[in-house]
Amino acid sequence: MSPDPATSPEPSTDVSDPAMSSGTAPDVSPEPAPSRADSNGAARRPVLSVRNLHTAVSTPDGAFDVVRDVSFDINSNEVLCLVGESGCGKTITALSIMRLLPTPPVRITSGEIVFDGADLTDLPERRIRGLRAERISMIFQDPLTSLDPVFTVGQVMTEVIRTHRDATKAEARDMSVEILRAVGLPAPAERFDSYPHELSGGMRQRVMIATALVLDPEILIADEPTTALDVTVQAQILERLRAEQQERHMSMLLITHDLAVVASIADRVAVMYAGEIVEQAPVDELFSDPRHPYTQGLLRALPHVSGKRRELVPIPGLVPPMQLMPPGCRFAPRCPHALERCWSDHPALETGAEAGAGFRCFNPQPF
Amino acid sequence: MKRILARTLYTLIVLLLSSIAVFYAIRLSGGDAVSARLPASASYEEREEFRELLGLNDPVHEQYFRYMGRLLTFDLGKSLTNNADIYTMLTEHGKNSLILGVAAFVLVFAIGVPLGILAAVRRNSWTDGSVMTFSVAGMAVPNFWLALLTVWLFASTLGWLPSAGCCSLKQLILPAVVLAMEGIALTVRMTRSAMLENLGQDFVRTLRAGGLSEASIIGKHVLRNAMVPIISLAGLRIGQIVGYALVVETIFGWPGLGQVLVNAVLRRDYPVAQFFSLVLIAIVVLSNWLADVGYTVANPRLRRT
Repeated sequence: MSPDPATSPEPSTDVSDPAMSSGTAPDVSPEPAPSRADSNGAARRPVLSVRNLHTAVSTPDGAFDVVRDVSFDINSNEVLCLVGESGCGKTITALSIMRLLPTPPVRITSGEIVFDGADLTDLPERRIRGLRAERISMIFQDPLTSLDPVFTVGQVMTEVIRTHRDATKAEARDMSVEILRAVGLPAPAERFDSYPHELSGGMRQRVMIATALVLDPEILIADEPTTALDVTVQAQILERLRAEQQERHMSMLLITHDLAVVASIADRVAVMYAGEIVEQAPVDELFSDPRHPYTQGLLRALPHVSGKRRELVPIPGLVPPMQLMPPGCRFAPRCPHALERCWSDHPALETGAEAGAGFRCFNPQPF
Repeated sequence: MKRILARTLYTLIVLLLSSIAVFYAIRLSGGDAVSARLPASASYEEREEFRELLGLNDPVHEQYFRYMGRLLTFDLGKSLTNNADIYTMLTEHGKNSLILGVAAFVLVFAIGVPLGILAAVRRNSWTDGSVMTFSVAGMAVPNFWLALLTVWLFASTLGWLPSAGCCSLKQLILPAVVLAMEGIALTVRMTRSAMLENLGQDFVRTLRAGGLSEASIIGKHVLRNAMVPIISLAGLRIGQIVGYALVVETIFGWPGLGQVLVNAVLRRDYPVAQFFSLVLIAIVVLSNWLADVGYTVANPRLRRT
C-alpha cells in the first residue's frame, strides 16, 4: 500500500478506514497479563472473511467436500491459527483463499471469501494474481522443494517485485537484500545470488518468508512453515514470523498441527476436523475452556510442561473416510458424549457472545 | 569444474581405445584392399609387392603406431582406390555432412521442444493426443523406410521436392527431416514429461503465490527446469544424427561423410575407412562430452561442486 514497503515502519493502519471504528468494540482481554497484538491499541476488524466455504474434490466415486461450511474472519493485526490433523482441510482452506487449488480435481463449490470488498472466489484470474504477494502472501511447508532450483534467490525475488511494481532491477535488488536482512538471513547481499541448494533449510524458509513479505502484504498465510525444519530453527522462524507480523501490523493465518506452536503465537484459534471448523476461540479461552469434545481430546493428548502430571489420553478411532462421512456430527463416531441426536443432525457452529468464537456441538461437556 | 575435467580425461581415453578398435576391426573384416587397387589379372607376386609397399604385411600394432604418428602430423594419407587426398575428401564431404547434420539438429529442437511444451500445457486434450501419436510414429518408423515414403510422396507423387542430390535448400529438406525425425519424436516426449513433472513441483505453487503470470511460470521457470534433461541429452542426439547420416546420405545421394565411409568400407579402402570412422567416433564421443558439460551448465546444482 505504501510506496516503499521496506522502509515504512509507520503503522499506516486503520486511520484511512472510517468503517472500522463503529460496531465492533475492541475486545480487551480480561487478563491484564500479556496482551500481545493489542499492544498498539488498534481495534480488531476483519480484513478477510471466509463465509460458508465449500471446497470439493472430484473423484471417480463422485465429489466430496474436503472443506465444508467453513467460516471465519482474519482480523487486522492478529494471528489466527488453523489447527487440525493431517488431511482435515487446513491447507485446502488456505489454498482456496489464495485460489491456488489444484483445479481439477479440487475446486471451490460455494461460499464467499471477502477481501477488500471483493469476493475472491469469483475474481478473474488476472486480479487474483495482482493480489498475490502484493496484498496476500503465502509461504509453504517444505522450503526444500518450494523454491525454484534453477534460479537464484535474487532472480525470483526480483521477478516477484517487478511483476507487481515499477521498480528497476537495482531497486528490486535493494528491496530484496533489505528484507532478506530483516528476516535474519546472514550475508544477505551474497545470498541474493545464491541458488536454493546452497542454503540450509532454515535459510530457505527465511528466503521464502522474505519473498512473501517483500511487498508488505496485509495478510500472510503460513502453511506449516516450521514442520520441515529442525526444532531449534523452528523456534527462530516462529519468532521471526511473530516479529514481522507485529512490526508490519499484518494479519497472519498460521496453519499448524502443533498445539505448542499455537500456544506460543496465536491470538485466536480455529480447530478443524474432517473439513469443518469445530471450534473457534481466543487462544487463552481455547486452552483453558475448550468446549468441543475434539478440542478437548486434542488437549488431553498433549503433555503439559507445567501443571500436574496426568495421563495422556488419545482420541479413540480414526477420521472417517470422505465416502463414509456420517450425516450428523462428523465427530460423533469418536465422541464419548455423543447423543442420539448427534448421529442424525448436523450441529451448526454456535456463535458465542463475541464474534469469532463458537463451537459445533450439541452436548458440550466441561473440560 | 572437477567433474568436467574428469569427463574430459574419460573422453580422451575413449577416443584412444576406439581408434585401436577401428584399426583392428577393419583389418579383421576380411576382403582385400589390394584387389581394389590392382587389376584382377595381377599376379601373386605383384600383389605381395604392393602389400609390402603399403606396409600391410607388418604386424598390426606397428601399422597402428605408424598410422597414428602420421595422423598426429596431419598426414591423412590418400585413398587406395583412386589416390584421392583424404584431407580434400574431409573438407569437401565434411561440409555437406555438416550442413545436413546441423539442419537436422536444429529441427530436432526447433520442432521437438515447442511440440512437447504444447502437449504438456494441453495435456489429455486432442492436441496432446495428436502430438503424442506423431511422436510414437516418429520413433517407430525406421528412417530408411521414412526416407522412401517421403521420396514417394513429396518427390514422385506431389513433385514438390527433389528426391536426391545436393546441395540446394530444396534438396536439403527431405534428408534433414528424415534424419531429424527420431530425434524430434524423442525430444517431444522428453519435453512433455519433463514439463509435466516440473509443473507438479512445489516451487510452481510458490511462484504462483508470488503472483507471477502463467506465461512466465511455464515459459521461463518450468521450461528452464525441464531443459536440464533435454540439454543433457542433446549430445546423444548428435550421436544419433551422425549414426543415421550413413543411411540417409546414401538413400538421398547426399555426398557427405557417411556416403564416403560406406563406399570406402565396401571397397576395403583402409585409410579412408579408418579415418572417417575415427572422425564419426570422435564426433559422437565429443558430443557426449559436450552433453556432460551442458548438463553441468544447465543444472546449477552441479555447477559449483
